[in-house]
Amino acid sequence: MAAVSLRGSIEKVADPVHLDASVEEVFAMMLGGTASRDAGPVSTAPESVTAVVGFGGVLSGACILRGNSVAARLLAGRLTGQEFAEVDDTVQDGFGELCNMLAGSWKSKVPELSAHCGLSVPAVISGRDYNLHVQAPAFDLRHIYDFEGEHFEVRIICDNVQ
Amino acid sequence: MAGIDVLIVDDSSVMRKIVERALRQADLDLDTVYEAGNGVEGLDLLSTKRVHLVLSDINMPSMDGLEFLRQMRSRNLAPGVPVVMITTESSEEHVKQAIQDGAQGYIRKPFTPEQVKERVLPLVTRS
Repeated sequence: MAAVSLRGSIEKVADPVHLDASVEEVFAMMLGGTASRDAGPVSTAPESVTAVVGFGGVLSGACILRGNSVAARLLAGRLTGQEFAEVDDTVQDGFGELCNMLAGSWKSKVPELSAHCGLSVPAVISGRDYNLHVQAPAFDLRHIYDFEGEHFEVRIICDNVQ
Repeated sequence: MAGIDVLIVDDSSVMRKIVERALRQADLDLDTVYEAGNGVEGLDLLSTKRVHLVLSDINMPSMDGLEFLRQMRSRNLAPGVPVVMITTESSEEHVKQAIQDGAQGYIRKPFTPEQVKERVLPLVTRS
């Protein structure tokens, strides 16, 4: 099999349209709603939840979903059809699965990526006062969305493409 | 048709519930729904329980869905029972691999209940 390279199509891979299309698809199909792009801040609340799904193969990097605890409970609630009073295991599980579907949907938008890039299982971090630092990515897509009045952020970070 | 027994294999308990809900929305008369958190647990369940349908994620810790499928077929667990893979991995190669390993269907996440119905109902009716 011929080696696949994305170096010549980095602009296509990094096209922000793909990220918006992925969010639209996942929210319409799994949460029965629409998330719209927003310029507002993600959160001023101290507690936040971050889900990370890694990319490996022809592209290495990660898809990151981040929101405050209210947004996380809302999204997990719409996904599961339940209501949550706190960020428990189910909320974290649901938030991770949402991130997993966003990552899968995003990579499916570019055929070369879809076939030659794998996904890790989701990791979910929740707590207060933490930062996520990524050193010199090849590209970093960072979009904020509004869903039913709550803001959340979806980020695609690419460390490297082959 | 009498109620059917189903095994759902996924490391996410939330996703197992969502798949079960989608099956019910697809008008499937579910009797018992068994759940497994990975391929190893899935194989253990199939060695003691009889089911009419298996739905499995691919990307799981301990034992992924494709290895679960291969071992299920090679150990002749649940012979003739249709297996549908439900996964975010959507490339043509993944689909081919799953079919080659003995899956009868493939559903990409995210999915709608209608898509689940389209893929699953013919398999259950046939079996």
